[in-house]
Amino acid sequence: MATTTLSPTAKGYRRSWVIEWLTTVDHKKIGILYIVNAFLFFFAAGILALVVRSELAIPGLQFLDERTYNQAFTMHGTIMIFLFVVPVLSGFANYIVPLQLGAPDMAFPRINALSFWFLPAGGLLIFSGYLFGGAAAEGWTLYAPLSNGTYATGVGTDLWLIGLLLVGTASILGAVNFIATIFKMRAPGMTLFRMPILVWTVLVTATLILLATPVLAAGMIALFIDRNYGGSFFDPNAGGNPVLWQHLFWFFGHPEVYIVILPAMGVVSEILPVFTRRPLFGYRAFVYATIAIGLLSFSVWAHHMFTTGQVFLPFFSFMTALIAIPTGVKMFNWLATLWRGSITFATPMLFALGFLSMFLIGGISGVMLSAPPVDFHLQDTYFVVAHLHYVFFGGSVFGVFAATYYWFPKMTGRRLNERLGKVHFWLHFIGFNLAFFPQHILGIQGMPRRVSDYSPDAGWTILNLVSTAGAFMIAVSILPFLVNLVATFINGEQVGDDPWEGNTLEWATSSPPPPYNFDKLPPIRSERPVFDLRHRHDAEHLAADLTVPEGGHS
Amino acid sequence: MHSADDALPLSHREAGLPTPLVGMLLFIASEVMFFGGLFATYFNARAIHVGEWRPPSSAPELEILPIALPITIVLLASSFTMQFGVWAIRRGDQRAMRNWTLLTLVLGVAFLLGQVYDYTQLGFGISDGAFGTVFYTLTGFHGAHVFGGAVGLTILVARARQGQFSRQNHVAVEAISIYWHFVDVVWIALFSTLYFLR
Amino acid sequence: MLPLIALTAACGMVPPEPHTDQAKEIFWLYNVILVMGGIVFVAVEGFIVYSIFRYRRRDDRLPTQVHGNSLVELIWTAIPTVIVLILFVLSTVTLNSISARSDHPGVTIDVEGKQWSWVFHYLDADADPTNDVMVSGGALDPPVMALPVGEPVLLRLRSNDVIHSFFVPAFLVKTDVVPTGDRPPNELEFTVSEAGTYSGQCAEFCGDLHARMTFSVQAMPRTDFDAWLAVMRPTQTPAPSLPEGSAVLKVSADNSTFDTHELTAPAEEAFGIEFTNDEAVAHNVAIYQRGEPIFNGAYFTGPGTTIYVIDALPAGDYTFICDVHPVPDMTGTLTVR
Repeated sequence: MATTTLSPTAKGYRRSWVIEWLTTVDHKKIGILYIVNAFLFFFAAGILALVVRSELAIPGLQFLDERTYNQAFTMHGTIMIFLFVVPVLSGFANYIVPLQLGAPDMAFPRINALSFWFLPAGGLLIFSGYLFGGAAAEGWTLYAPLSNGTYATGVGTDLWLIGLLLVGTASILGAVNFIATIFKMRAPGMTLFRMPILVWTVLVTATLILLATPVLAAGMIALFIDRNYGGSFFDPNAGGNPVLWQHLFWFFGHPEVYIVILPAMGVVSEILPVFTRRPLFGYRAFVYATIAIGLLSFSVWAHHMFTTGQVFLPFFSFMTALIAIPTGVKMFNWLATLWRGSITFATPMLFALGFLSMFLIGGISGVMLSAPPVDFHLQDTYFVVAHLHYVFFGGSVFGVFAATYYWFPKMTGRRLNERLGKVHFWLHFIGFNLAFFPQHILGIQGMPRRVSDYSPDAGWTILNLVSTAGAFMIAVSILPFLVNLVATFINGEQVGDDPWEGNTLEWATSSPPPPYNFDKLPPIRSERPVFDLRHRHDAEHLAADLTVPEGGHS
Repeated sequence: MHSADDALPLSHREAGLPTPLVGMLLFIASEVMFFGGLFATYFNARAIHVGEWRPPSSAPELEILPIALPITIVLLASSFTMQFGVWAIRRGDQRAMRNWTLLTLVLGVAFLLGQVYDYTQLGFGISDGAFGTVFYTLTGFHGAHVFGGAVGLTILVARARQGQFSRQNHVAVEAISIYWHFVDVVWIALFSTLYFLR
Repeated sequence: MLPLIALTAACGMVPPEPHTDQAKEIFWLYNVILVMGGIVFVAVEGFIVYSIFRYRRRDDRLPTQVHGNSLVELIWTAIPTVIVLILFVLSTVTLNSISARSDHPGVTIDVEGKQWSWVFHYLDADADPTNDVMVSGGALDPPVMALPVGEPVLLRLRSNDVIHSFFVPAFLVKTDVVPTGDRPPNELEFTVSEAGTYSGQCAEFCGDLHARMTFSVQAMPRTDFDAWLAVMRPTQTPAPSLPEGSAVLKVSADNSTFDTHELTAPAEEAFGIEFTNDEAVAHNVAIYQRGEPIFNGAYFTGPGTTIYVIDALPAGDYTFICDVHPVPDMTGTLTVR
């Protein structure tokens, strides 16, 4: 072969973009594939949510029969959690983490690609139940015995199980990849305590995925064996135990919710320092709090099972209460970052601030649920639905939109329109609170969850109507977002390396970065190498750098 | 452990464990949790059962002879042979490594055949109540993992045949050997639980 | 504190009026936690809103770069720890109090939850179930559980199909109804404090008609309760028999579907409905006219056949339906002429 200088834009280097995207092992393209795929599932699951809310707006079954309704909320939850929120955050992590580490790619690029392609495959399998006599309809938690062969007939549930096994395998492989990358591929000078907070949250998240998802796999395989091979794992009439399913599911399920929230917390922890021009307050404590949450998340699972009568309540109540402490510490760290900052309100910052407010409410309702006597009243009611939407949606999804607006310029070289972004945010924020705050009240007043209908005499009608209106408002808020995406792709404001005056290494290369990520890295002496580079001649910066605790600036 | 870049100056060498080994160890951690979940189903079924915890009354009790103990010894031996193979390639002896790995593969296949034969002699099936279900699920998934390891061993033998390994460059052998030892450890835990702890 | 509670109550953030001794304790704990949560919310949210205004960017100067402060961080770790521990202690004390069992419950009821109906079986001192009061009901005629006020009530919660949950919002409590096979079932004990009617509903998703698995609890003074028991107690009157030569209509059910959706019966004379249930799922045949119940056959779980005897009906159009599964597949027209 002739020795020529390799140039990415040389004529012989190009290949068809279809083949390129189908076979890529570049973490940046894979990240974008994850994000686009996830948003497609988001829209599908969102439509299912509108279906559910339309039916519940007023008493009586107007559009659906019970079976169809039950499939709708089952699919909504399943798709949102497994095919939207975790993959989209994985996508951002995939794109950004190697860049923030100063690495050229992930540790195992081909496994990275495989992990992605399992997702649409698994998702389509899960959805395919609709084509084969009905999708799974037992709630996303698929409790036994309702989910066994006697009561959940048809292949919808089996397709759900197999699809999710694929998705789970993809997650586990992805987790291996992230952990190996973070430990083995940091640029010189980047010690563990100089890594960006997003990388730390991804590290802990990946560890949770690695250790929790296999237990779900074990449970799902057990259910599959019960359904198809005459097994008796969960059949009380043959020596099995229905509550065993709940233990296996929630042993995974609780770490899962931290898998959903931690990367979003990482995103917010990247955005706040940039838009307040202050370092994240208490970086080390934040890292320790994240690790503590990860550890504790394995000890609380049975707080989802307080009403089963088969759980040692004081232990799980205690551990659940404990987990509020590191979570509170993080909240205080974010507040202290705002304090005496110099704050601007670009759309990423709006969503980050929205995250703080909404996650706060979700956290408080979670603490309320941690007390078993209170949980006896609120479990399986709309209070839990409100709580989970405040943390998943008000928390993680706000984080996802923050990440989208923040890193879109890095990924495409164009910045999304600010005015449309603000319209999106406000419609979204108001719609979200309209949709979900009333659900706290509905639950407190006794409305159970997973009901296709309710009594007109219960006094729940008005709040359901308000909630439905809010849901449609959220749907409407997506329109300015979509318009923004399209318009920006066509003719958006072009930006350079560092449109936001960021702190971390992804802003030290072009937008979008070249395939090999970096031509040259700045020196890495803190968790904010690009900030340090920008302010290296800034005597004022050096003087203003007051409280640097021992080892805090490592 | 010698890695591919002994010849490079210190500042350019990979520090710590080689990345593929890190990947394998992480993967094994997830497998530990998977078997943990399956063991949890065993212990839960055992804890809640009413009556004697044993195969259905139409079948005999589980016995370590004539099959279970011999196949355990076979699998244990295969871990030794695997490790001899690793030590061989660390010395640079690719031929010896190939032979030890082949022997490991043979022993592993023997274990699988013995396990399948045992299934035919047990007198109960996966659909015969909670005991049957957890017994076959645990041993079956262990067997599946042995099979996966056997595939890996076959690839090692084939690559060794082609001369792909050397003293400095054999991380795949290290990785597969760790996986193989893991599969053996799981079996020891399983065997002890099923046949001794009961 | 009281005006604050009144305000939140007006907003619906406070549970319904509690009507058992245990519910009152839960109500108190709930309000304490709500107030704690409210204070945290106001403080933190207030700070966020304050910061947004106070620390808006006004110029290009870099703000003070504070990386941390060990003392402050220690304090704001210690204080939540204390608060959380207090919460845990209060919660555990309340839990122990409401879980206490009495030696002599005033009434013990075996509650069976099934897809999608309830059976309340009042256990009495003798071992003979045939003279026990049994109340059953499903979606179209939810059962009523009568209870004496002021005495401990012990419920044994059984299921032979899927997991359900016995939930009465006015009692601020639910307990899952778990199919446990041979092992002991869950139990729930409470003491109703005020007479009244309280609605209840299954709270663990249990399949198609989960939303309609309702019931109600009617608490009354002990004397009234005893009178109710006496009235409900099955007497030894023989089952009504069908006169010779009466018409017998045939209906069967499988997969929650009737095999016919049109029946005809003679007017002004008693007739029978021979109901064959081919599956081990409870069904019945009930007759309604313009929404009014005319006849509700006893619930019957198959496989097997039972005969319902219906008194003479005037000519007209009626609807027959399964009370447990009031779905189109189990609805039909009965023409009487």
